[in-house]
Amino acid sequence: MKEKNVNIENLFGSLKKENPFRVPENYFETFADRLTIRIKEEERTNNHRRRFIYFRPIMAIAAILVLAMLLIYVPSTKLLPSGSGNIAQNGSENSIDDSVNGIQGSLISNFSEEQLLAAFSALSDMDSKTLSSDNLADYITANYSSYEILADN
Amino acid sequence: MDLNEKELIANLKSEASREQAFQLLVKTYQQRLYWHIRKIVLNHDDTDDILQNVFIKVWKNIEGFREDSSLFTWLFRIATNESLSHLQKQRRHSVVSINEINDYLSESIESDVYFDGDDIQKKFQLAILQLPNKQRIVFNMKYFDEMKYEEISEVLKTSVGALKASYHFAVKKIEEFLKEDSK
Repeated sequence: MKEKNVNIENLFGSLKKENPFRVPENYFETFADRLTIRIKEEERTNNHRRRFIYFRPIMAIAAILVLAMLLIYVPSTKLLPSGSGNIAQNGSENSIDDSVNGIQGSLISNFSEEQLLAAFSALSDMDSKTLSSDNLADYITANYSSYEILADN
Repeated sequence: MDLNEKELIANLKSEASREQAFQLLVKTYQQRLYWHIRKIVLNHDDTDDILQNVFIKVWKNIEGFREDSSLFTWLFRIATNESLSHLQKQRRHSVVSINEINDYLSESIESDVYFDGDDIQKKFQLAILQLPNKQRIVFNMKYFDEMKYEEISEVLKTSVGALKASYHFAVKKIEEFLKEDSK
């Protein structure tokens, strides 16, 4: 037993300073270059992030404004009678496009369920991403007369 | 802190000479830091990642270096902390217990293509792996790197007395492991 201990101590001593690990060829020669590339990449990413942080308050304000406009616009078209809605829109925004949208919006609110279903099925072959209330309104104004729309309601 | 080191730090802190000084810093310390990290995490790829992280941290924080310790001590401290947090992350993500992480590290030695040691050295490394992480670091720094207790104390922010005790227990445990293994 004593002899074994001596052997272990010898073994322990003989291992001193020996490094059993090694590295891939040219590892230390190329390390600095690889590190420089990584630092440059990190700095580029950080610059993008910094720019985003800089624009974040502006984007937040823009989002709040859009939300506020939606909150004012949507109830005014939904809750107010269609005629007054158009007046409100035409009064505040005088562009021709907006007044057309207002007319289409009021038309859609006058459609019966059957008319809307027919319009949806007719438009189903269209790309779903492009299907909008404008498409629907276009289809109905092209295929139904004002009389038919009002008679169904 | 010698004059060269002071000059190197001053160059690192100056924007005009930073890149050149940083290259010099990397060339000077990369090997010592590599082997320090490698003995903790064992695997070459992990060591490479950690070493890069260490130098990136130095690059980002050199202006805040207060110079109350030597550059070498500061670098070793960052390297030690990065290595330990790597082991902790590994434990959190893939393995649950200390035994399992030791098994994982043992397997790393067994399957490491960059391990050249013979059976005795493998046994010796496995014996070192049985130690708790911090005790293993103390043992490596004292035994392989032949650092003074005072230097280790600065890096690990532990008292010299505690380090001496730690090293003593580490040697005893390794001897016991080797004794058991040779039975």
